[in-house]
Amino acid sequence: MLDRIGSAAIRGFDEFLYSLGFFVQVLKESALLFRRGQVGFRVLVMQILFTGIEALGIAAAMALAIGAAINLIGSSLLAEFGQGKLMYTILIVVIARELGPLLTAFIVIARSGTAIATELGGMAVGHEIEAYVAVGVNPISYLAAPRFLGVVVSMLVLDIYFNVFGLMGSFAVVQLLRPIGFEEYFRSLFAALAPGDLLLGFAKSLVFGVIISVVSLYRGFAVEGSVTEVPVAGIRAVGSSFMLCILAEVVMTAILYLG
Amino acid sequence: MTGVPELELRGLGSVRGGHEALRGVSLSLDPGETLFVMGGAGSGKSILIKTAAGIALPTEGDVLYKGKPLSRLSRREMTAFRKASGFVFQDAALWSNQSIFDNLALPVRLHEPAWDAAEVERAVRRAAELVGCAQELRARPAELSSGERKLVGLARALVLDPELLFMDDPTSALDEASAARVPGIVDSLKSRGRSILIASAVSEFSSRCADSIAVLLDGRLAAIGSYAEAAAWTDPLVRGVTGRLKPRAAEAWTGGLAGAWVNAVADGTAMAEEKSEDKGKDGR
Repeated sequence: MLDRIGSAAIRGFDEFLYSLGFFVQVLKESALLFRRGQVGFRVLVMQILFTGIEALGIAAAMALAIGAAINLIGSSLLAEFGQGKLMYTILIVVIARELGPLLTAFIVIARSGTAIATELGGMAVGHEIEAYVAVGVNPISYLAAPRFLGVVVSMLVLDIYFNVFGLMGSFAVVQLLRPIGFEEYFRSLFAALAPGDLLLGFAKSLVFGVIISVVSLYRGFAVEGSVTEVPVAGIRAVGSSFMLCILAEVVMTAILYLG
Repeated sequence: MTGVPELELRGLGSVRGGHEALRGVSLSLDPGETLFVMGGAGSGKSILIKTAAGIALPTEGDVLYKGKPLSRLSRREMTAFRKASGFVFQDAALWSNQSIFDNLALPVRLHEPAWDAAEVERAVRRAAELVGCAQELRARPAELSSGERKLVGLARALVLDPELLFMDDPTSALDEASAARVPGIVDSLKSRGRSILIASAVSEFSSRCADSIAVLLDGRLAAIGSYAEAAAWTDPLVRGVTGRLKPRAAEAWTGGLAGAWVNAVADGTAMAEEKSEDKGKDGR
């Protein structure tokens, strides 16, 4: 029993060290990608298109729904306690600082995390990654770095869109159900908006983007030789990304409120 | 000749998934030599050839290219090694999201960045014609049969006319006519002084092309020597692998014909001959 726990701990520690080394390599090659201006740019553009642009619809719909729900609930519930103005603060905290980055991360995990892990896993099974090595292409530089940058940039882009749709777009939705004055809404919204809230939201998006991309890439590259490993890589990428993003969210929120 | 082997494996060991796939394998490949690594399924041929090519990392030992360990090559030296070597994968390993043309063009674009599009296309067409897949350049790998994909994989390895070639079971998955062409291509490369390391269990292929034979048994190097020496090996396990090698005089393969065709492609006359042949067929 103790043997098994011990060897599992050693394996876990080895994997942690290996993934750390992998992360450093990805960071290094990402920096070099800009300096070299190589063919990886096409992969980068495709990744931003897939992760950042094609996910706009679902991110916008989610942001509108949540923004509208907070508007509706907040404006009626808080008014009962004479705290109607707090609705805007809650809207900003929930959309821009807490829920926005996390929900955007969930969208990216579901769409791009699985896609990256299974695509790379499929390539590993078909020995396509080895074929890149054989001709002299560094797989980290050509396959990992553009996807890493693409996901990180897309997370930021999606978070900005989430904020725009959640904070401003939801105003239009609420107008259909319970009209609020345009001027009053936006004046109160901008009065409650602090740059720190937006910056913290963007910082979270950055961290989540790094987590999702590195975990998905790592899981994809870890596939060795069997087709059955490919869906497992996708499932593990989703599970690990969810867990690590939530953990990061808790840590960053704790630092903010307790620090 | 400098006396330094083109490639040298020193005490190579490899552990894959907890299993010892290679144990203390040492061998060398001289410039212009064709060395066949033979062995049964699971004997470690593929992992040996991938490790020799620097695609898989050994868990112990070293691979030396022209006397220098691959693990100590600078980025520039490694790029030069990649440019000077080609690898034929057992299952073709084409990039599925790229056309056949792009599969062949990527090594050229990577290692000859100064070449314009016409030069790249010329190199791609030459390699495709060499193996007989020039009609498929616009297709995607998924549209080809496994044999056709294998030929494209061979063309990709040859597109930069490498001085060192690694071939992992190059005749598997090929139809008879295509498989018969491979020894001719190897012959042609040999005549131009290329060094070739081939993993293959096909005795007829080895009988035709091998200068030297190495036998792997369960990850260990059980025997190594020239083709002539292989006939004298008496170990029953080794004989089990090499027993079907034929005397050199026997020409069971039609590779000689393919070799002539390959050389004709190399000097640019094959296309003209092929066209005139087609005209002849039309005439009939």
